[in-house]
Amino acid sequence: MAETETEAAGRELTMSRAMVEAIAGEMREDEEVFYMGEDVADYGGIFDSTEGLLEEFGHDRVMDVPISETAYIGAAVGAAQAGMRPIAELMFVDFFGVCMDQIYNGMAKNTYMSGGSFTVPMVLTTAVGGGYNDAGQHSQTLYGTFAHLPGMKVVVPSTAYDAKGLMHAAIRDDDPVVYMFHKRLMGIGWMPAPEGPKTPVPEEDYTIPFGEAAVRREGADATVVTLGLHVHRALSAAEELAAEGIETEVIDLRTLVPLDAETVLESVRKTGRLVVVDEDYRSFGLTGEVVARAAEGALSDLEAVERLGIPDVPIPYARPLENEVIPGTEDVAEAVRSVQG
Amino acid sequence: MSGDAGGDVELVAIDSDAVWPEDAAEVEEAVVANWFVREGTRVEAGETVCEIQIEKVSIDVPAPATGVLETIEVPDNGEFGRGDALGYVRVG
Repeated sequence: MAETETEAAGRELTMSRAMVEAIAGEMREDEEVFYMGEDVADYGGIFDSTEGLLEEFGHDRVMDVPISETAYIGAAVGAAQAGMRPIAELMFVDFFGVCMDQIYNGMAKNTYMSGGSFTVPMVLTTAVGGGYNDAGQHSQTLYGTFAHLPGMKVVVPSTAYDAKGLMHAAIRDDDPVVYMFHKRLMGIGWMPAPEGPKTPVPEEDYTIPFGEAAVRREGADATVVTLGLHVHRALSAAEELAAEGIETEVIDLRTLVPLDAETVLESVRKTGRLVVVDEDYRSFGLTGEVVARAAEGALSDLEAVERLGIPDVPIPYARPLENEVIPGTEDVAEAVRSVQG
Repeated sequence: MSGDAGGDVELVAIDSDAVWPEDAAEVEEAVVANWFVREGTRVEAGETVCEIQIEKVSIDVPAPATGVLETIEVPDNGEFGRGDALGYVRVG
């Protein structure tokens, strides 16, 4: 992230403030951009995703909605098809069940089903992730569920710098984009973030192109592919491993759809050892997908593979149990050690 | 508010009392949630330099003067009492 640091001028932002800055910038530039969701206006978003927007733009463009995700996400799909650029927030990704028809049969497919007569230029923002004891219905990431369905781009920022650039790109995109922000990275006072997501953020607009992973740390001995909160856990693990003489390359996927498989393959060709770390369930998900891509594209270079994810159980409420099922820094370090020859 | 550290250097305290909300008059302790500038960075008077939390209410704290953030006295997640200086700005 040396590039990030030289570009910015001293000021650092939390991820939530960086997101809001991008949204506000797009709302000033284009009056078709507006925000809908539960507790996004007067409350500013329960994870500060819209803090301060109401004061500048008013209730016509920052709207609290009744508790019907089907109704307002459906309304966003319609508004997008009619030429607006809505942002709809699903408060917790765990709530997708009640509105999935609007998301995957409407938002994701209407461009295709209409033979290209419509585009659906909307952003679905949603809070993901655990690690703060909110139990099995408020702690999932569900990256795999959304990345699995064709028709939607899916992005997952891990730093404030990326949060702003990905948000600008998401709002300007003519296709539907799912923007999944991890609660623990937002920098909320009552839920302290790890070191790392708060970064220098330039005042001016910029975009981060979709489909470009970031190599957060270079290393020749093993490749760790991850995203979101676990980028920071992987970097901590890499620090610890470096002291033992193991040099770990850490790749932050940043976007799941499109997926930058080439950056993963380049790294695997160099290290031969791949560890995929996910906060979603282990089976039928991101870890399996990345390992499969590596096998398809660099089979002869692969020496060893390990994957970490939630071990196919509901995320427990009790703190020691939750800590047990969500991969921690030490789990990542141990997985990297285990793939060494 | 201001102290003289010798010579022409004027240090202005970032005074937590100045932003303490009226409805939290009974509260004596708060916590720094986030600093947005590092020591040695230029700040403009009025620019948000940090965010504090008093009983889960977030408050943005402005720079009291234009200059350079000389020191951070209370770090991220650090606790402080009403009236404590959160840091100092070197005027200039």
